[in-house]
Amino acid sequence: MPRLTIQPFVIAPLVALAFGSIAAHAADPHPDKTDPLTDSEREFFEERIRPVLVNRCYDCHTHEGGAADAEYALDSRAGMRRGGVSGEAAIVPGDPDASLLLQALRYQGDLQMPPDEPLPDSVVADFEHWVSIGAPDPRNEDPEELRRIAQAKSAEQLWSFHEPVKSELPTVANPEWPRTDLDRFVLARLESEGLQPVPDADPRKLIRRVHFDLTGLPPSPETVEQFAAAPSTEAFTRIVDELLNSPQFGERWGRHWLDLARYAESSGMEFNFTYPHAWPYRNYVIDSFNDDKPYDQFIIEQIAGDLLPSSSPEERDEQRLATGFLAVGPKRHNAGTRDFLMDMVDDQIKTTTEAFLGLTVGCARCHDHKFDPIPDEDYYALAGIFMSTDTLYGTTKIQYSRHPSDTIPFGPNAEEQHAKFQAHQQELAKTEKALTAKQEKLKKLKAAEKKAAPENKGDANKDNENKNDEKKDAAKQEEAAEDAAAELKTLEKEVAALNAKLKKLRAEAPKPPQYAMGARDGKPIDTHVAIGGDPGEKGEQVPRGFLKAFTVEGASEIPNEASGRLELARWIASPHNPLTARVMVNRVWHHLFGRGLVPTVNNFGVLGEAPSHPQLLDHLAVEFMEHGWSVKRLIRSLVLSRTYQLSTQKAADNFRHDPQNRLLWRMTPRRLEVEPLRDAMLAVSGQLDAARPEGSPVTALGQQLARGVSYEKLNPANTHRTVYQPVVRHYTSYMLQEFDFAASSLVVGDRAETTTAQQALFFLNNEFALEQSEATARLLMEAEPEQTDARIRLAYQRILSRPPSPDELAAVREYLQGTSALLTEQYPEEDRRQTVALASFVQTLFGSAEFRYLIHSPTNARSDALAAAPR
Amino acid sequence: MTTPMPLSRRHLLQTLSCGFGYTAFASLAAEAARAADKPQVEQSPTAPRPSHFPARAKRVIFLFMRGGPSQMDTFDYKPELNKNHGKEYGKKDTLFGSPWKFKQRGESGLWVSDLFPHLAQCADDLCVIRSMQTDSSAHPLAMPQMHTGSFQFTRPSIGSWVLYGLGTENQDLPGFITINPSRVFGGPANFGSAFLPAAYQGARIGWEGRSLKDASFQNMRNEKLPRGVQRAQLDMLQNLNASYDESSVEGLIDSFELGARMQDVAPKVMDLSDESRETLKMYGVDEKQTDNFGRQCLLARRFVEAGVRFIELGHGSWDHHRNLESGLKRTCGATDQPIAALLKDLKQRGLLDETLVVWAGEFGRLPQVQYETGRGHNADGFTVWMAGGGTRGGYAHGATDEFGRKAVADPVHLHDLHATMLHLLGLDHEQLTYRYGGRDFRLTDVHGKVVSPIIAS
Repeated sequence: MPRLTIQPFVIAPLVALAFGSIAAHAADPHPDKTDPLTDSEREFFEERIRPVLVNRCYDCHTHEGGAADAEYALDSRAGMRRGGVSGEAAIVPGDPDASLLLQALRYQGDLQMPPDEPLPDSVVADFEHWVSIGAPDPRNEDPEELRRIAQAKSAEQLWSFHEPVKSELPTVANPEWPRTDLDRFVLARLESEGLQPVPDADPRKLIRRVHFDLTGLPPSPETVEQFAAAPSTEAFTRIVDELLNSPQFGERWGRHWLDLARYAESSGMEFNFTYPHAWPYRNYVIDSFNDDKPYDQFIIEQIAGDLLPSSSPEERDEQRLATGFLAVGPKRHNAGTRDFLMDMVDDQIKTTTEAFLGLTVGCARCHDHKFDPIPDEDYYALAGIFMSTDTLYGTTKIQYSRHPSDTIPFGPNAEEQHAKFQAHQQELAKTEKALTAKQEKLKKLKAAEKKAAPENKGDANKDNENKNDEKKDAAKQEEAAEDAAAELKTLEKEVAALNAKLKKLRAEAPKPPQYAMGARDGKPIDTHVAIGGDPGEKGEQVPRGFLKAFTVEGASEIPNEASGRLELARWIASPHNPLTARVMVNRVWHHLFGRGLVPTVNNFGVLGEAPSHPQLLDHLAVEFMEHGWSVKRLIRSLVLSRTYQLSTQKAADNFRHDPQNRLLWRMTPRRLEVEPLRDAMLAVSGQLDAARPEGSPVTALGQQLARGVSYEKLNPANTHRTVYQPVVRHYTSYMLQEFDFAASSLVVGDRAETTTAQQALFFLNNEFALEQSEATARLLMEAEPEQTDARIRLAYQRILSRPPSPDELAAVREYLQGTSALLTEQYPEEDRRQTVALASFVQTLFGSAEFRYLIHSPTNARSDALAAAPR
Repeated sequence: MTTPMPLSRRHLLQTLSCGFGYTAFASLAAEAARAADKPQVEQSPTAPRPSHFPARAKRVIFLFMRGGPSQMDTFDYKPELNKNHGKEYGKKDTLFGSPWKFKQRGESGLWVSDLFPHLAQCADDLCVIRSMQTDSSAHPLAMPQMHTGSFQFTRPSIGSWVLYGLGTENQDLPGFITINPSRVFGGPANFGSAFLPAAYQGARIGWEGRSLKDASFQNMRNEKLPRGVQRAQLDMLQNLNASYDESSVEGLIDSFELGARMQDVAPKVMDLSDESRETLKMYGVDEKQTDNFGRQCLLARRFVEAGVRFIELGHGSWDHHRNLESGLKRTCGATDQPIAALLKDLKQRGLLDETLVVWAGEFGRLPQVQYETGRGHNADGFTVWMAGGGTRGGYAHGATDEFGRKAVADPVHLHDLHATMLHLLGLDHEQLTYRYGGRDFRLTDVHGKVVSPIIAS
């Protein structure tokens, strides 16, 4: 449509009115300038109108910052035209005199703006002109709309919303250095900043590092010394492969995943019921890592394993157990149904999106996401999927627990076994009920009989006149007593029979199958947006669906009759989902290097940090998918790189340039998390029970309020690996609490690392620390019955994976002598005293930085230690 | 350069031999830390930090009266309720006048019932908020909300937020201590740090309902090794750790110094034997009725003196659905004298001005009778009081209706109370944030308004 180019004031208001609607079609004399504007119109607005609005009006008249008169917002075209509370249009395009705005600016009526003083006449004239030419305003629509446009734009711009692509391998100045493609990316970046990597790690420390990283356990002294005697890439590769194939690998890497799955064995929150059947999910995760289950399959199983076809009962069990992922979150069992469900669904949305996609979709529960392009409709589209799902968390209806659910029986013949068990339980309950009723009756009869017995009748010679009556009564009573006695006998027989039946039932009790938590499809429904997160405030209904910020090629629509869980799972696990592979690769990197290429491992959104090596991240992500989403292969390729095998030693120049080591010029020293810390102490002392324990101690507790169970029952002493310790929310063991164990109600991708006085006190005084120290001392004395020096050497090798330097050896010798003297009084017996002294030294090594961190040896110990290493 | 090169912790440690006494080492090291390399050492997560603006209070004693104390029997005088005792209330309820007399106390004339004869003497120090409101009248929800601001999600306790915001003055003691907390309704989550690092969680002494006599922090004692050996261990340990040029390892060195001092200091602070007989008597220690809470209050004062940032004392239960009369007599009897002693003692030591004392339950109670002798829960109107720490003494803020059912004048929501507590500590509740999972979290979430009238001019 051609644009009107009439000079100002040519069309007077009256003319406009006279022409009416006919004219509007003909020459558009009642112009309403929307896009596209001509350059001169745009210019006029930008130069004459907008600055005035910004400087003189916005203080009060904006959507956001508005003070008293915020009802009239001038910061958008729609708002400015619409007007304020009066309902009168503020601007009639083409008609300054009919426009309330102009009346206010002209100080003509009651409304005078700006309130302090009128604008200069020339400015008022500009506004008149501007309205008369149709109030051309390039500002596009409502701020709401603007925000959406901005979000769409940010989705377009956000690197993580575009599929990863492999780029060409960078060229490097020093082609000798890189061992793998990964190294080329790292070196190229270092060279571009003028930095050089530090030397490779000491072979002993490298073996220690890779053992802890892959299995969470220290290497044996033999393994260390063998490798140190003849270090080679081949030997290292062999060790890596052994570790990847050991069952301890899954126990280490499964635990990383359990942090993300907010795995716990109780419901947390205000009542905190124990979950007796959470552990099968834990074992599923561990086994999946050990089996090197393709990561895409691992995702699909956890979200929708119950909906997958299976070729054997075992496979079916495994897939259903996987959905425990959806069920083990915190729950408010005493809440009303609507709140209970919405909170559970919220937990499922948060966990799923944060763990797999590195997006905080949970923020969109109450409003559109403030930073990421995730409108609240997307949240409720996902909510519909989970609302159409029955979560099987397996708590029963008891006091404070109002939302019972089924569990998943599993194992050979589980369903049959479950049916039998259920029937038996019902029979048992029925019999118990019958018995109780009979017993009550019996009790009443007996009480009555006792009352009726002669000795309770009172004084028999009371009154002669009453004797006759009494006789009659006595006869009657006798009769009644006989009846009662007969009834009593029958009842006693019945009770005895029921007791016998009960005894038999109990003796014959069939074994229940094992149970697990999980999910199954429910009735498919769509949900409404809950305005402000309040389910009582219903907004529009949203069809079940996925996030719309990016499209995933080949994703299937959700069929009407399905919850959409399987489709969601496939949408996430698709090679075309731009986030999934990157997020996982980055998590693995984070665990092996102490910090992700994207440091905000759970946030790949707008507020997340950009990757330090974007091309490397993409390279790894694409390789990961190309090689069948194999996590083991990914880990293998990272630890075989030269970058992984660098020393943790500082280089002064590098440190000045990049103190955080974002450029990877060395290996960052990392602290052992609480699991490898505890496991390593048990391994050193020879106390570690490496076998997987049966189930969990929580199973035996059944469903209980955690508050009523003693610490000892919630955390029974054991020597199993820490991953098998019970995780009852808020009641985890003291050691887990003090050493930054993952907060088990949250999706944790990057544990906090605090160093506290309480931790030091743990090493100094805690029973576990003392026990393991002493067990180690006994082991050392048994292994080396003769020689103190040999014991010290072995202690260093078992605890720090290296022999002591001559200086250290001398110092410890001196320490043991001095300590023995101090212990004479308390431990008069020589042998015992030696053990305690040796234990106190072991305890000290446990507290050392070299044990608690994956770090090089102290500078004063290292150089001569290697020379002095005994063979 | 004219100034001498500062001694780094590491250098200092390297120069020390094994034989050097640990005590000497500790003091030298501490001095060196103060003088020189503190900025290079990875700071203790609980090291003191400046407040956002000048603070009125340096620390908090939070007296948590679990169960919901009745306001109309204690601090919210309702003559109309008494006048209408026994009359119908609504369709099926009967008003229940307070069995206790109220009097105006002190120069301020603040109303306090006869249940608190001792505390009544401190009336001019009390700043009573009679118009409190919270979101739930169920213990399981209201209790976590009182402590964390939320019952829907697991969030950090207010004590953790304060410790995170301000650190603590005395590194030899935990900065957030909770004495005799309850195991119910969130239990440890009420002093947990949730997504804040574990260094900010509350250190617990005892459990509600158990005697405090032998309670202590964990891992303070070592029966196996004499102190001399521990000293030798520390010397060796610090030597082992000394030669690293890593800030995280220096943090480790710090932690052992602190731990070693804590195990010396904490038992001393907790040992009441150096208190005078008069003081013990004042707090009601060793009197059957007041012994336990008297010890709690006395410990709180000692922790305050030692520079602990946030101390919570738990007492329960105030949940008087039945037998309100005997129940309140018992709970008030157990706490009145100890709390009054605490306020007086803090005052006479010049500590009350900079110590914010807060007395609160998770909600209050209803004006009508329940089960013939008690009162039900009430989240729409209840009373908390504060003392010291820059609050306006002898002042009553807000009001409930004639019977004490609902806050009608100047209602103060729990989030407002939290915002105000932080404000008195010099913290802006909107600025005290922690980024977790892509979002900046606050104690007050998106709520909270500072209640300025309760702040002393």
